[in-house]
Amino acid sequence: MIKRITAILVGLGILLLAVFLVYAWEASIPEQDPPSPGNFSQAMLEQGEALAGIGNCQSCHTVDPEQPLAGGRAFPTEFGTLYSTNITPDTATGIGTWSREAFHRAMREGISRNGAHLFPAFPYTHYTKVSDEDLDALYAYLMTREPVNAEPPGNDLRFPFNIRLLQAGWKLLFFEEGRYQPEDSRSELWNRGAYLAEGLGHCSACHTPRNDFGAEQTDLAYEGAVINNWYAPALNTSSLAPVAWTEASLYDYLRSGGSTYHGVAVGSMADVVHRGLGRAQDRDIRALASYFSAMAEPGSEEQAAQTATATIQAAQQRSAETLGYGEKVFTYACASCHYNDPENPSTLRPDLSLNTALRADNPMNLIRVTLEGVDNEEGLPGVVMPGFAELSNADISALLHFLRATHTDRPAWNNLEDEIERQRQEVATQTESAQ
Amino acid sequence: MSTTFTLNGQPVTLEVADDTPLLWSLRDDANLTGTKFGCGIGMCGACTVLINGRATRSCITPTKQVDGTAVTTIEGLDPEGEHPLQQAWVKTQTPQCGYCQSGQIMQAAAMLKDFPDPTDEQINQVMSGNLCRCMAYVRIREAIKLAAADMRGAGQGNEPNDGTDTTEGAAS
Amino acid sequence: MNKLFRSLLNPEHGAPAEPPKVSRRGFLIGAAAGGFTMAFFRPGLSFAQPEDAVENQTFEPTIWYHIHPDGRIVVNIAEAEMGQHVGTALARIVADELEADWSMVELHHVDSDPKWGLMVTGGSWSVWQNFDPLSRAGAAGRMALIEEGAKLMGVKASQCRARNSQVTAGNRSISYAEIVQRGKLSRTFTEEQLKEMPIKPPSERRLIGKETQALDIPAKTTGASQYGLDASVENMVYARPLIPPTRLGSSINRIDDSEAKTVDGYLKTIKLDDPSGTVPGWAVVVATSFHAANKAAQKVKVDWNPGKTANVSERDVLDHGRELIESSDKGALVVNDDGVDDAFSSADTTLEHDYITHSVLHFQLEPVNALAFEKDGQWEVHTGNQWQSLILPVLSTALDVPEKNIVMRTYMLGGGFGRRLNGDYAVPAALAAKALGRPVKLVFTREDDCRFDSIRSPAYQRVRMAFDAEGNPTGMEHHATAGWPTQVMVPSFMPEASNGVKFDPFAIQGAAHWYSVGAHRLRAISNDLANETFRPGWLRSVGSGWVNWALESFMDEAAHKVGKDPIEFRLALLKAEGKNAGSAPNSVGGASRQANVLRRVRELSNWQQSLPADTALGVATSYGQERNMPTWTACVAQVHVSRETGKVTLQKLTIVTDAGTIVHPDGARAQVEGAALWGASMALHEGTMLENGQVKDRNLNGYTPMRMRDVPAMEIEFVDSTETSVGLGEPATTVVGPAIGNAIFAAVGIRMRDIPIRSEEVLKALKA
Repeated sequence: MIKRITAILVGLGILLLAVFLVYAWEASIPEQDPPSPGNFSQAMLEQGEALAGIGNCQSCHTVDPEQPLAGGRAFPTEFGTLYSTNITPDTATGIGTWSREAFHRAMREGISRNGAHLFPAFPYTHYTKVSDEDLDALYAYLMTREPVNAEPPGNDLRFPFNIRLLQAGWKLLFFEEGRYQPEDSRSELWNRGAYLAEGLGHCSACHTPRNDFGAEQTDLAYEGAVINNWYAPALNTSSLAPVAWTEASLYDYLRSGGSTYHGVAVGSMADVVHRGLGRAQDRDIRALASYFSAMAEPGSEEQAAQTATATIQAAQQRSAETLGYGEKVFTYACASCHYNDPENPSTLRPDLSLNTALRADNPMNLIRVTLEGVDNEEGLPGVVMPGFAELSNADISALLHFLRATHTDRPAWNNLEDEIERQRQEVATQTESAQ
Repeated sequence: MSTTFTLNGQPVTLEVADDTPLLWSLRDDANLTGTKFGCGIGMCGACTVLINGRATRSCITPTKQVDGTAVTTIEGLDPEGEHPLQQAWVKTQTPQCGYCQSGQIMQAAAMLKDFPDPTDEQINQVMSGNLCRCMAYVRIREAIKLAAADMRGAGQGNEPNDGTDTTEGAAS
Repeated sequence: MNKLFRSLLNPEHGAPAEPPKVSRRGFLIGAAAGGFTMAFFRPGLSFAQPEDAVENQTFEPTIWYHIHPDGRIVVNIAEAEMGQHVGTALARIVADELEADWSMVELHHVDSDPKWGLMVTGGSWSVWQNFDPLSRAGAAGRMALIEEGAKLMGVKASQCRARNSQVTAGNRSISYAEIVQRGKLSRTFTEEQLKEMPIKPPSERRLIGKETQALDIPAKTTGASQYGLDASVENMVYARPLIPPTRLGSSINRIDDSEAKTVDGYLKTIKLDDPSGTVPGWAVVVATSFHAANKAAQKVKVDWNPGKTANVSERDVLDHGRELIESSDKGALVVNDDGVDDAFSSADTTLEHDYITHSVLHFQLEPVNALAFEKDGQWEVHTGNQWQSLILPVLSTALDVPEKNIVMRTYMLGGGFGRRLNGDYAVPAALAAKALGRPVKLVFTREDDCRFDSIRSPAYQRVRMAFDAEGNPTGMEHHATAGWPTQVMVPSFMPEASNGVKFDPFAIQGAAHWYSVGAHRLRAISNDLANETFRPGWLRSVGSGWVNWALESFMDEAAHKVGKDPIEFRLALLKAEGKNAGSAPNSVGGASRQANVLRRVRELSNWQQSLPADTALGVATSYGQERNMPTWTACVAQVHVSRETGKVTLQKLTIVTDAGTIVHPDGARAQVEGAALWGASMALHEGTMLENGQVKDRNLNGYTPMRMRDVPAMEIEFVDSTETSVGLGEPATTVVGPAIGNAIFAAVGIRMRDIPIRSEEVLKALKA
C-alpha cells in the first residue's frame, strides 16, 4: 500500500516536473544582424534616449564611464553576486544579434534571447508595463549605441539559486505580465507619471521592501527600503519628511537634484536624477512629480512653506537651548553651510531639520554623507560638500545625536558609533576596490 | 592623477594624487599660498575657498572632487585685491596676525550671496566655523556689515569673480 | 648678548627694571646704497667712520632706518610681526620725530644676524623698550637733514624747520629726497648729544597718538603676506614629525615603514639624532609632498620606549603642586615683608582659598613649521619666530655648526601668543635637512602642533589674608606653583629671591600687586613634575594668566567676607603710598592710577545698575605683568548664568586701560580687544587636561576656543595720557577671567575657583 502511494507521489512529482519544465522552457529566438541605424527615425532615437534615462539603464549596466552600457557591475545579493549584462549592440558580447522580438520578450517577460530566464534584479517585472511604442524607441536607442566588446563576469550564485530554470517558479509566484492600465479617475499627467514610475522608471525596485525571495512586497509598496548600503526612503504617506512632498518640491528634486524643503539627491538617487532623469523631458518630470505627490498626500505649497519655517524655527530654538559637544561640532563644522533664515531657507543650504535622512529610522544615509560628502556630480550639480571623515566616530556620533535631538522629534538612534565605524569600513573597502 | 578645473578664472590641470586635499594642491602645486592650513579637519575655516561660488573647506576636499568646477581663492577674489570685503577689512583694520583672514573673507563672500544684509545672528551662525585666534571678531563683524552695505549700494555691478555659479537656477 | 634681557629683570620683584637706556653708544648717519642710513651703532666702535659702520651694518637691534633718493623711508624692524602691528607703531615713533611724510614710510622685517643683537618679541615690551631711543633716532635724523638742507639752500639751520619730509626756510623748501640726492651727509652723535636732542613735547606730535592704518594689513587681506608655512625653496621635500609618547626621555626601539612604502611620493623615515636634546626620540617622515608625508606618517609604525612621565595626568601635576605649597620650605620668597606671620597670628579673622588653572594650548592658527637647508656651509632656517636669539645657540648645538653660520629668515607669524618664543620646532627641521642633505620643510599637523605645544602649565595657588577687627587687611600670603618656562628654556635668566632660591619671574608676575594689604609674602614654587612632563611655555601674559585669576578672585572673596562692595574694597587698598607710590617715569602715580581706571570702569559699566535675574556684574583689575612697566587695567564683566544648564553667557566687557602714551590708538584698541577675548576664551571656552603624559585635546574637535557667536559686547576706553608708553598685548587677558568668576558669584552666589569654568561644574555648584 505504502509502495503504491509512494509510486503515485513519485509519478505525480515527475508529472509536475514535466509540466513545470514545459512551462519553464522558453524557446531561443534566432540571432539576426544588427539593424541598420537608418531604420530608426531621429524622433524615435530621441524618445529612446529619454526613456533610457527614465529607466536609468546606464546606472546598472555601466562600470567604466568610458564604456557606457557594457555591463559588468556587481550586485551583491543574499543569494550571491550578480553581474549586469552588456547591452551595447556588440554582436559577440552584447545584444547586437537581438531582434526587436527578443528585446520585447526580455523586457516584458524576463527571458533572454536564448530562452534563459533572467533574474529579477533586472526589473522586467516593471518593464512589462511599457508600451510597444516606447520599447521600440528604447530598442532603437540601444541598437544605435557604440558597440563595446566586453564580456561581463559570470554570475556567482549559490545553489540552487544558480538554476535559471527555477526563475520560472519565481515568476509564477511573483510576476504578473501585462501593460500599464490607466486609471480613469486620475488625471492624464498622473497616469503618465504612474506609467513611467511603475514601468521603465521602476522606482519601487529601490523604495519598496523585498521578501525573502527578493520580490517586492506589494502590500508595502513605497514604504522605504535599504538597498546598496543606502536607505531609499518611503515615498507614500509613511514618509518621515517633515514637509510632505508637494508637486513643486518633487519637480525641483527630480529635475535639479535638490528640494528646498527636503534636501539633495545623493548616492544612487543622484545617479537617477542626473544621469537618468536628466535626459527626460520636462513634462515627464512633472508627470512623475504629480504621481508621487499624490502618493505623499501633501497640503498646499503655502502650507509646505509654513511647515518648513516652523520646523526650522523649532530646531534653531532647541539648538540654542542645548549645550554639549555635538552642538559645538555642528556650529563649528556644519552651520556655515547649513544654517538658514527660517523664513527663507535655501536649497543651496540644505536645512537639516527638513532632511529626511536625519529623521529616518536608519542613520546610514546621514552617516555616509557626513563621512563621504556630496560630490559635485551628486546633489545640486557643482555644489561640493566635503566629507568629514577626519572627525572621529565620537565626534560624528555626538553631532548626529545632537541633530537628531534638536532637529527632529524622532527617538534617539542606538549604537551610532558602531554604525559609523561600519560605514567607515565600507568606504575604505570601496576606495580600495576602486583603485 | 590629473584634475582639470578653473582656478581664479584660468583653466588649470594639476597632476596630483586624487585624494590630495585641495588645500595642498592649491598651495604647493598651484603656488597660491593665500589659502591657509589650520586644523585639517574642516573646523577652523582657514582653508576656505569658493567652489562654484560656495564656501568650502579645502583641507578636507579631495582635489579630484573639484574636477570641472570653478575654484576661487583669496588671490582671485578681485583682480586688484579691492573687493568690497577686502576694502572693508582694511578700513576696519581687522587683521591682526592675518593668518585666518583669507578664510574669513572667502566665507564672508559666500555668506553675502545668501544673506546680503546679514543680521548679527546670521553672522554668528555662518561665521562661527571660522576661528580667529587673535579674536578679531568684533572687527570681522563690523567689516562684513560695512562690505554688505557697500555691495548692496553698488548693486549687481560689483559681482566678485568667484566663478560661474552654476547652481543659481536651482535656488528658485 | 643677553645683557639687555637680563637688565630687564629686577631680582627684587622678578619684574623688568627700566627700559634700556641709550647709553655708551652713539648715533650715526652715513651714505649707503644711494641713500642715507641712520642708525645707532654698537658700543666700542669708532665714531670717526660712519661709512664703515654703515657698510658693515654694525647697528643696534630694532633701531635703524634708511632714506632712499626717491624719499622713501624704510624702517628696519627686528621685532616679529604677529598681529600687533609692531612695525607700524615703531615706525610712527621714528617718523614723528623725523617729521617724515608718513606716506613715504615702509617697513622691512630683517633676518636674524648677530649684528642686530638680541632678537626677541614678547612681554608686551616692544613699544616700551623702543619709544625713547626711536624718538631720539628720529630727532637726530631730523637735525641732520635740517642742517644739510640749510646748507643746500644757503640759509642758516636755525631759520629752518622740518615738516612732512620737507625742510623749509621762509618761502623756500627742499625735500628730504633732494637732500639725500644732493647732500653728503656724514654725521655722528655722541651719547651726550643724543641726550640733548630736542624731543618734541607731546602737544607737537603729528603721528604718535593719531589714527593711522597699519602697514602690514593690506597684504593680509589679499593672501600676499608670507608666513613661515608659505616658505619654499627649490629641491625642497616635505616632512611630518613622528612625536614620541612623552616630551622627554623617550627613545625609539624600532621603526617599521613597510606600509608607508605603498604611498606614492614617500621617501624615507629619518630617526633624528639630536645633540641639543630638544627632540629626544623623534623621527620625521619625508616625502615629495606634504600629503604624501602625512599619509605615510600614518602608516609608519614606531616602537617607542617611553619616558617616565608616560602616565602623568593633570590631577597628578595639580596634586603635586598642592603638596609643594604645603611644604613651607619649598620655593622662592619673591616678596617677604617683615611681620607676615605676626599679622596672621594676631588676626581677628583670616581667609584662605585655593585656585586652579588648567592646561591651556597656544593653538596659534598656523601650526608650527620650519624650512631648513644648508648651502655652501651656510644654514638657513625659514620660519616665523619670536625669539631668534634663544633658538640660534640650540640650532648651533643641534647641527654642530657655529652660530654665525646659521641665519633665520623672517616671516609673518600666523599667531605668536608666546608659542614662537620657543623656537624648538626649527630643530627637527634642521636635523632632518642635515640627515637628508636636502632642504626639508617640516610641517606639523594640528595634532602634532598640540602634542608638541609648550602649554601654559596647570597652576595651583593658595592665597591667604589676615584682617583686623574692622575688616581691614593686615597681611597677605600668595603661594603659586606651576611649570616654569624660564627654568626649562633659559635658566640663566632666573633671578634670585630673598631666600637665595632662583625663580622664574614670568611665572609669578602679577602677584606683586599695588594693593596696600599690610605685610606681604609671595612664594613661587617650580612644579618639577610639570617641568618633566611637558615643556612649559610662555603664553600670552604667562604667569599673570594664573596669578591674577587667584589674586582678583580672592580680592572679591575678601570684599564679600568683610561685607564691602568689591570696588570700594579695592579702592580703599589702592593707597599709592610706600612701595605702592610709584616712581617716574614708568610707574609714576603708582596705585593711584590703578584706582583711577577702577573708578572709571565703575562709571562706564554703570556698576550699580539693576539687572535681570541671574545676571550680574563682576570686577577685576590688574597692572599688567611688570611692576616696573605697569599697564593699569580694570574690567567689569556682565554675565548671565542659566540655572537649568549651568551655561555662563558673557554679555558684556567694559575695560579701561591706562597705558601711558598711546602710539597707535587703533592698534592699541585691537590689542585690548584681542587680549580681553583671549581672557574670556580661557575662562569659559578653552582649557585641556594632561592625560597619559600629554594633552588630551589636540584639535578643534575637543579644544574649543571662542568663536564669533560667543563674543560679548565690548566697551573699551583708554586713559588720555602722555606718560611713558607701556605694553598692551597682554594685560587685558588677565582681568577678564576673574571678572567673570566674580560676576558669576554676584549673579547666582556660587564661587568658581577653577578655570576654565565648565557649565557642568557650574551646575554642580548650583545644585550643591
